[in-house]
Amino acid sequence: MTHIPRIGIGGPVGSGKSMLIERLVPVLAEIGYSISIISNDVISKEDADRIRNNLSTKKGLLPENMVIGLATGGCPHTAVREDPSMNLAIIEEMEDNHPELDLIIIESGGDNITTTFSPILADYFIYIIDVAGGDKYPRKGGLGITNCDLLLINKIDLAELVGANLEIMKTDAEKLRKEKPFEFINCKTDQGIKKIAEHIIHDLLLDSQPKSTNLKKI
Amino acid sequence: MYMNIDEINEELAVMQLSDSFFPTGLYSTSNGLEFLFSKNEIKGIEDIKKMIKVNIEQQIGPSDCVALENALENAEKGNFEEIIQADEMAFIMKPIKEIRKASTNSGIQLIKCVSEFVKDNDILNEYEKAVKGKKVHGIFPVAFAICCHALQIRKEKSITMLLYGFTVSVIGAALRLGLIQHLEGQKILHEVKPIIIQTLKENSNKSLSDMWQFAPQFDIIQMSHEKMDSKMFIT
Repeated sequence: MTHIPRIGIGGPVGSGKSMLIERLVPVLAEIGYSISIISNDVISKEDADRIRNNLSTKKGLLPENMVIGLATGGCPHTAVREDPSMNLAIIEEMEDNHPELDLIIIESGGDNITTTFSPILADYFIYIIDVAGGDKYPRKGGLGITNCDLLLINKIDLAELVGANLEIMKTDAEKLRKEKPFEFINCKTDQGIKKIAEHIIHDLLLDSQPKSTNLKKI
Repeated sequence: MYMNIDEINEELAVMQLSDSFFPTGLYSTSNGLEFLFSKNEIKGIEDIKKMIKVNIEQQIGPSDCVALENALENAEKGNFEEIIQADEMAFIMKPIKEIRKASTNSGIQLIKCVSEFVKDNDILNEYEKAVKGKKVHGIFPVAFAICCHALQIRKEKSITMLLYGFTVSVIGAALRLGLIQHLEGQKILHEVKPIIIQTLKENSNKSLSDMWQFAPQFDIIQMSHEKMDSKMFIT
């Protein structure tokens, strides 16, 4: 069975996980990467439906059956960490039936700052918070913020409106994460999205070309 | 009277497989309870008990328990062909797609998990290979039997664990839906014990040709759950 690189995206409710996927996939798809998305929803299929509608139906960037919604029995944290069996079952099916995929993105259901992904489930872990939660967030720590491979601080355009000091967030993130990267982004305007794609291509895909490119060469 | 080492080992294996901490994904299933809840058709502990009773007596007892028992006995005899048949029978006894899919997903993950720490059991290895080669479905009751065999858990305990696991998954779903409170959950669990014992007595010595299941109302409920737009549970 082919192992397809997997990204886990976690973060609190409303931090911009689905929006990040909607903005990131077009950048990666344009380069030629073939992607599938598993969206773990807490109480509905809305996120998966929205992503499918925006990325597949409207833009045709991936087939509709490549966006899968997964109900997690009200336990979003459990589904990606303590007992990822339902996610693994879907991924194994994907790896079996679609070895042509370059990347699988797993979106966690909205949860709290202790969310982490089981390393068996995700090879690369992105944690996303937003400034509207207050500039205390990086400082508060939590496993998601400290352990992720890439920390994203979203909705920076709102910082002034909600009284969040980005300098404080930057200093705290640097202190807490030491050498590990973090980025300020604004999914609404695509600010910082290309940088995230670069992190993924370099750190997870190890700068490998899309599989479709290799096939064309053959 | 003291237990010997083998008995203690068996008890520890029972605890391990029965623990909600064991990763089989069962927390993501409500077995149709969520649909009933959304339609305001289920109210409190009596309704939940009734639902568990019908499911155990009309579905899991006469089908899954019989498949488990046959698979376990044939695992002990080394009859792999019979295990394949039990797997097939248990699979076709589940007419609802979501339930069938959740059962095979959980079964396959269960086998993978136990194979991580039991390396020297021929039947487990053969079943895992058959799952990978798609020669068996990996349906949960049969996968469970294979794991119980590998961990040397006896038939009666294995069946009891399967029924207990189902009961806990429904009660857990009811708790998370806010239908009952935690103390009520334990009360239901206690009151379901005689149903579990009776089901065990009735179904622990049957052949595969005796398998049946008939709970059309629940089939419809589970099918309706498949079509729900907004849901917390897979089934």
